[in-house]
Amino acid sequence: MDEFNDNEITKLLRLKRYEQPAPGYFDNFLHEFHRRQRDELLREPLWRICIDRARDFVFSFNLSTLTSYPAAVTAVLVCAAVISLRIYQTPQPATVAVKDRSVLVVPASTEPEWTLASPVATRVFNTRSLRNIKESAQTHRSGTPRYVLDSVPVSYETTFKF
Amino acid sequence: MRRLSSSSSGQGVPLLAAFASLAAAASLAAQQTPESATALSREVKDVFARAAKAVVKIEATDQHGELSGTGFFVDPTGTLYTAYSVGGEAENVTVEFKGKKYPARQLLADLRSGIAMLKVDLASPALPIGNSDQLEIATPVVAIGYPLDLAETPSFGMIAGFDRKCFGGYFPTKHLRVNLPPQRGEGGAPLLNLKGEVVGILLYTFENNSCYALPIEAAEKIRSDFVRFGEPRHGWIGANVAEAAAPVEGSRAVTKDIMKETPAAESGMKSGDVVLQIGRTSVHEPEDILDASFFLTAGDVVPITVMRGNEKITFNVQAEIHPATRRVPRLPDGSELPASASLSGRAIPLNLQSSPDRTP
Repeated sequence: MDEFNDNEITKLLRLKRYEQPAPGYFDNFLHEFHRRQRDELLREPLWRICIDRARDFVFSFNLSTLTSYPAAVTAVLVCAAVISLRIYQTPQPATVAVKDRSVLVVPASTEPEWTLASPVATRVFNTRSLRNIKESAQTHRSGTPRYVLDSVPVSYETTFKF
Repeated sequence: MRRLSSSSSGQGVPLLAAFASLAAAASLAAQQTPESATALSREVKDVFARAAKAVVKIEATDQHGELSGTGFFVDPTGTLYTAYSVGGEAENVTVEFKGKKYPARQLLADLRSGIAMLKVDLASPALPIGNSDQLEIATPVVAIGYPLDLAETPSFGMIAGFDRKCFGGYFPTKHLRVNLPPQRGEGGAPLLNLKGEVVGILLYTFENNSCYALPIEAAEKIRSDFVRFGEPRHGWIGANVAEAAAPVEGSRAVTKDIMKETPAAESGMKSGDVVLQIGRTSVHEPEDILDASFFLTAGDVVPITVMRGNEKITFNVQAEIHPATRRVPRLPDGSELPASASLSGRAIPLNLQSSPDRTP
């Protein structure tokens, strides 16, 4: 802009004022404009075109309102990560090696016990444990040896006799 | 101003040197602790690497079912020690050595000491025998055993005491109380010093992270009996000792009863004698009798020094078989022979081989 002052621009316009485009120039103007534009676009690599398209698409949603709360967005993302980790790392329920599976199975057809003493029907939970001690011992000890380490001496001296 | 600056810099040099020396000392101290821990860890590793090959897993069956314990070789011909509760009353004993199972036969089982000796017909490594008398409180020790169904496992601890009494009863001899975490299956495991020598045999667990071990000298006494006589021979002279009201010549062990027709009575010992020495063992308290008594061997003559009044007397007493370990003759069907049965003129069909030879 510094190369031209107002006088020079005025002179240039005065010289060009009688110049006209070739006949038929404006007939195909729009088509020619699009062609040249396409040619200009195709000079760029494909990845840059894709990035530009994606950026245009994202910014078309006006994300500035969301990015104004980066802490909130970060917190939400961290919480989501923690919750998902906890869900996927929950240990499976312990399985017990059972010799006789029927020992552990509670009959599905067990009749619930109901009492009529209260005007409100109250279900009395069956407090019977799934396994009693004897059954537990059977399931854990069957097939495994007794690992020996005594807790009391096998012999004692009664008095100081020698 | 210049003088002041010069003076302050002059004081700063020794201050800086002091700080530097303090920092150096602190860093040296910080380095020394890990180094000592590393050295200890290295020693334990060395003991484990050397001794583990002579420690075996023992499996057997008894009247309650299958059992599993630990044992260790003490000579290169496959003789091994274990706990009585592992190999004392079990059958079908097998020893797992280098990944293979070998049948083992029982050489002896001694209820009084709580150990058993087994024999496997193979050339084996052997653990060197140490000296438990050199142990002191807080001496570090290592046990190697087979807990549960796991591989050989070292446990590190320290000597916590030398006890003769536990749970209201008296051990047959002094036992080593060891602060290390024992686990089931480690009954019969060797207790080693940091030279890799056996100083005890793990026998009983005691509360949490503590256990009792029989001193190796007591086990070796039993082995010595077996070598000499083919069986353990606990000695006994027939004297009952109580605590005297006042010490005499440094001893409070006074003979309370002298049983009739016993070696003590025949040697001339009387009740009221204050026992000063039995063999090489000096007696100061009645509990000292336990140690001295355990190392008596039936048939051996032992000098016993007593104080009778103002006179110091030494008796040479030939010990007899301890009544608690005396064998009761049994009939072939397993029943005890009645005491009233007359042995004269009767041929008693003794079953000399109490258990079948299980080694092929």
